[in-house]
Amino acid sequence: MSAPALETVGLGKSYGRRWALTDCTLSIPAGHVVGLVGPNGAGKTTLLHLAVGLLRPSAGTIAVLGETPHDDPAALARIGFLAQDSPAYSRLTVAQHLQMGAWLNPSWDAGFANARVVDLGFDVRQRAGSLSGGQRAQLALTLAVAKRPELLLLDEPVASLDPLARREFLQTLMEVVAEHGVSVVMSSHLIADLERVCDYLVVLVSGQVALTGDVETLLASHHRLVGPRRDDLSMPANQSVIEASHVGKQSTLLVRTDDPILDPAWSVTPVNLDDVVLAYMRQARDGAAAAAPGLAVAR
Amino acid sequence: MTRFAWLQARTQTLSIAGALAILAVAAAVTGIHLSHLYDNLVASCLASHNPCGAATDQFLSHDTFLQDAFTLLMRLAPGLLGIFWGAPLLTREFESGTFRLAWTQSVSRSRWLVTRLAMSGLVVVLIAGLLSLTVTWWYRSIDLAGTNRYDVFDARDIAPIGYTVFAFALGAFLGAVIRRTVPAMAATLVGFVAVRVAFIEWVRPHLLSPLHLTTSLLNADRFGFGSNNGSDVMMIARGAAPDNAWQLSSHLVTNTGRTLTPAANTAFLQQHCSAISFPPPAPRGGGRVLAKLPDANAFEACRAQAARLFHLSVTYQPAGRYWTFQWLETGLFVLLAVAALAGCYWWVTKRAS
Repeated sequence: MSAPALETVGLGKSYGRRWALTDCTLSIPAGHVVGLVGPNGAGKTTLLHLAVGLLRPSAGTIAVLGETPHDDPAALARIGFLAQDSPAYSRLTVAQHLQMGAWLNPSWDAGFANARVVDLGFDVRQRAGSLSGGQRAQLALTLAVAKRPELLLLDEPVASLDPLARREFLQTLMEVVAEHGVSVVMSSHLIADLERVCDYLVVLVSGQVALTGDVETLLASHHRLVGPRRDDLSMPANQSVIEASHVGKQSTLLVRTDDPILDPAWSVTPVNLDDVVLAYMRQARDGAAAAAPGLAVAR
Repeated sequence: MTRFAWLQARTQTLSIAGALAILAVAAAVTGIHLSHLYDNLVASCLASHNPCGAATDQFLSHDTFLQDAFTLLMRLAPGLLGIFWGAPLLTREFESGTFRLAWTQSVSRSRWLVTRLAMSGLVVVLIAGLLSLTVTWWYRSIDLAGTNRYDVFDARDIAPIGYTVFAFALGAFLGAVIRRTVPAMAATLVGFVAVRVAFIEWVRPHLLSPLHLTTSLLNADRFGFGSNNGSDVMMIARGAAPDNAWQLSSHLVTNTGRTLTPAANTAFLQQHCSAISFPPPAPRGGGRVLAKLPDANAFEACRAQAARLFHLSVTYQPAGRYWTFQWLETGLFVLLAVAALAGCYWWVTKRAS
């Protein structure tokens, strides 16, 4: 397999005295649709801007497709980027946007772009300023994909779209992934947006990586345990408690382990992605200072 | 990238080119008419060796509206191009977020910036050049009839091109730094006006060392007596520089070459010109009072005596240096523009990330 889609070591970015991203170390293999999840202000946009070279790191290193992203045309040609709110030149028409793509990208796929615009039912003479939010997002996605990149970076692509436009956008994205085998990193603050399309997850909280891993593996290794109240949470060494809540005589735990849970006191139920992500977000938020043992970062 | 830069500059370019074309037609029609008028009124008069003051005045009274309009346009155009073209060039990209679209195509940021600056800069220079050519051509017979070219220095020939290049570059630089259109426009206006004023006040007069000329008080341009803001009544005289020169100063000096002090000036009047009845000095803070026309004999006697003791020292830049000044001013503004463009380049490619 080729170089990782995205690999960072100790990556940090500060704006003045405020650190938007600190000590971020992760490695995302190519060939995935990666969901980059986190609350607003977690550093998702900063990470994506670092990945496409719009920003330069204040600390650590970042490599995208094995190269340091740094304002280099050849490297930029391999990355398709869709900025938040899908910016477009409001006074240029749809056709002029495609023309721009053709002029500025050596590997431009005009056939794809033109067909895509027809499929979407655009009037190519329409100015981008008069497109709806959903149409503009589709136009921006078309521009990013027609570059024929190896990696697509999408920053909150559906955040401002209505449910129908959201569904259509993700539908288009899935078609592109299926047809062209492109790797995708897509950020969102809503897990629901990502659940349907992502097979890999990175959770960012307060500028730090709280969780990363293959979705299937994450789901298989997390369990909800319900049993009689137990305030002393000494668990077997191979199990780590991500979250615990106690109501009356009952304790509910979210536990991470790769091994079966043998203690008969617990009734074990599977978890969904939402549960896992929220548990890690809460844990990272609450325990940011006291790094809990459960905050092991998965690879 | 060149084609895309043109696509972005096209609408603006074509609309200004259209306005310029209309202006050029208007200038051509009225300009040809003006040169016929010049031939009929002024040139024919000059050929007849008669005094031509009246004929010249009559000629200059034509098209005064257009004269004012063209001069105003010529003085405003550089600043306007800087404010409305230079400043928004980059701020529009920042405000609409399209810089993230542009900078993530397969084009380096420096190439994007250089191409956009070069495309728009070239268009703006061309506009300024054509405008100045039109206006200078339109004015040629009026200027011939009696304009000191130093008086319209910044509204003719190549200096406006220098101003325009600088205004555009300053706008682009401030736009890159400030990133918001309206504040960047305001800053460009302030910066441009400040630099222009500083140039007129402190730089241009010192670009070349001026020539000096001493002339007798009998040849003075103006001679009289007056008092200003509470001072005693003094002799006031002003010498004339050669025709079409740029006069910088005129001083009364003694025969030993020293500038005449106010005290010595007053003392001279008391000693030698007592025959003249001067009005009381102007009150302090009350502006100036000029002496009423005194008795002509006493006046001439006083003047003759003054001419024996004092003369006028005039500093000026001769008419023949006009083009040197044009080139110097243009060159210096182009240099400032280059500095601003370098700052813009540095800020966008190195700093803004």
